[in-house]
Amino acid sequence: MNPYWNQDFFGFFVVLFSRLIGKISHEDLFTDEIQMLVLSGVAISTVTLGNFLTMRKMTMLANSLSHTTLLGIVLSYILLLHFHTHLGMCLHLTPSIFLLAALFSAVLTTFCTEFARNRLKLQEDASIGLVFTTLFALGIILVTLFTRNSHIGVEVITGNSDALHVADIKMVWGVTAITLLFTALFFRHWILITFDENLALFLGVPVKGLHYLMMFLTALTLISAFRAAGILLVLSFIVGPPLIARLWSHKLFCVISLSLGFGVLFSILGVAVSRFCLSVYGLSFSTGAIVVTLIAMGYAISVLLTFRSSKGLLLNNKGATSA
Amino acid sequence: MFSSFLNLLTDPILQSSSLGSMLMCFSSSLIGVLVLLRKRSLIGETLSHASFPGIILSSALVDACCSSSQEWRAIPILLGSAISALIGFKMLEFLENQLKVKTDSALCFVLASFFGFGILMASHLQQIAPVTYQEALIFVYGQAATMTSLHVLLYGGFAVLTLGFILYFYRYLEAVIFDPVFAETLGIRSKKIDHVLFLLIVVAIVIGIRCVGIVLMAGMLIAPAVAAKPLTKSLSSFLVFSAFFGVVSAFVGNYLSVVTFHEKYSLPTGPMILLIASGFAVGSLLFSSKNGVVGRHLRARRFRLQCAIENALKKIWKEGIDRSPLDHKMRKRLYRLGWINREGLTLQGREKAEKIVRLHRLWEVYLVDYLGQRVDRVHQTAEELEHLILPGLEKDLTIFLKNPLNDPHHQKIPPVKGVYEEGPR
Repeated sequence: MNPYWNQDFFGFFVVLFSRLIGKISHEDLFTDEIQMLVLSGVAISTVTLGNFLTMRKMTMLANSLSHTTLLGIVLSYILLLHFHTHLGMCLHLTPSIFLLAALFSAVLTTFCTEFARNRLKLQEDASIGLVFTTLFALGIILVTLFTRNSHIGVEVITGNSDALHVADIKMVWGVTAITLLFTALFFRHWILITFDENLALFLGVPVKGLHYLMMFLTALTLISAFRAAGILLVLSFIVGPPLIARLWSHKLFCVISLSLGFGVLFSILGVAVSRFCLSVYGLSFSTGAIVVTLIAMGYAISVLLTFRSSKGLLLNNKGATSA
Repeated sequence: MFSSFLNLLTDPILQSSSLGSMLMCFSSSLIGVLVLLRKRSLIGETLSHASFPGIILSSALVDACCSSSQEWRAIPILLGSAISALIGFKMLEFLENQLKVKTDSALCFVLASFFGFGILMASHLQQIAPVTYQEALIFVYGQAATMTSLHVLLYGGFAVLTLGFILYFYRYLEAVIFDPVFAETLGIRSKKIDHVLFLLIVVAIVIGIRCVGIVLMAGMLIAPAVAAKPLTKSLSSFLVFSAFFGVVSAFVGNYLSVVTFHEKYSLPTGPMILLIASGFAVGSLLFSSKNGVVGRHLRARRFRLQCAIENALKKIWKEGIDRSPLDHKMRKRLYRLGWINREGLTLQGREKAEKIVRLHRLWEVYLVDYLGQRVDRVHQTAEELEHLILPGLEKDLTIFLKNPLNDPHHQKIPPVKGVYEEGPR
């Protein structure tokens, strides 16, 4: 029996804390807890990448990745079907498809966009827009041809957080671990590329390779979040928490840690609000969409609180006095 | 084949979908030109997503108010999505101007937040009114096939409106887009023109999403304009070409999706239209005569070939045809140009070769006497410069160097026929 059943907003947290104090074993996680774990995992990896993506002005590139993952998945399916005919046409993600799809979509998107910009001399915004819409259209047509069905559900966009199970936690946190590992390894390089690309080139840092790596990790996170949270939530995590954190602070480490905190906070709050709406008002909303809305509201509140003080309110003042 | 083309325009069922999507592509490709020139192509992506909550809300409201005539529902839904997209645009402006958020972050944030809010309402709508929910979802991926003659009328009206706006404000638009400062001095309030322009973008998007869907709308704005850009030199021809590509891709996309119609599935119209349009775009970027990649490549190849021919000719002139080993291809080429025959250089060939050698040696004189290069170093540079052809270059060089007789290596410079009068010897 799910102890969160029929709990209101505060009751939810009471139950959560009592469960945290008591022993939670691996087997008896409830839906809400699985949701919270999966969403926070997604939040941590996307917000980490999102900080760099927003600083490098690449968020629209992440947006185009979120569209082209469809083509990546379709292509890797076709490729794997070629080798294993027993796979069948069911659309569940195995790790091999997963990695291949991320690789395909990241490389295709980045390469095509750069090609259009550098070789075909197309302006940047147009090349991003042209490439991702074309690749997405190609993806839809391939899906239609191969599944003999032109209907693509909205589940792709919003995810279906009610159908999660324990295996999803492993997958999402696995991707989070990969992202964190690479971020830790290349942290200095990414910072260098972000703030002074010319210096990075001068020092012999492989700027292109690191760019591709970032795109690959973003694609990987997007695909891992496909089922759980949907593409839209990932996009929201990429921009939202870093923007909110930047309202409160201007120091790099503060911004990164604050945004990570906000990401996890919003995912837990989202699950709580979703449960609250269901048990008190009988309204069932998509959890992913609730988190997106909460992030937007969080940004609005932060703007109201920090408006007219050109620096952030809390953390930056402390930083200023200590400096 | 041809009759099925005509069918698309005359068949009462196919007619409205094909006409509707052609009208929609017409207005979006016109607006796309202006957006592309303002370098705001991605605004289409954000605003089309921002219209989603409006679609959901207005379909829910229409559902609650009246459940009768299905057809007229299109109008309030259109209105709702326009209002929601406009609010999204205002948010975007606020984020960029007041909060100093970078453009890409602002675009992405507005997109995600508005669409997320829309999905939030949609997930509720799914529970209370599944039919309305399904109808609202049409807008996400687009569906041209279910358009009616009312849609065609509406879209036709908006297409005329767009065209009228562009024609009426043509001069202003030209000034504002290409030289905002100049426009300001003329007393054109570029802010106002900008606002009307963005209103029109919203209109184009709102019309378009019914046909190609929210997700592909950005591409419909960009692709025809990108296809038209390399072919044009003025704003007016840019607009005409873009509209042409838009309408043609709408027609062909519709045609392909009708032709591939199958019992169980058919290729979706929206993606087909977009693929055709971006096919045009890529094709024109690759093959346009002047700026295209292929054009540039061809020009480079032609230049290399010309250099090879000229070098071969020079060698024959210096060492005679027996001593200079020519491969078969080059020999044939020179024959065809009439520069050599069996014995050696023809009169024409000799003239041509002397001209090249003359240019080479003139360049050497210039490099040594005027640029102070070392004598033993200039040969390589002159070897490349001799292939440059500019009208009157040789004459100008001769006059500038005062028609020298010998080059720095004390070789004779072949004289020109009819010495230039102006140049003293």
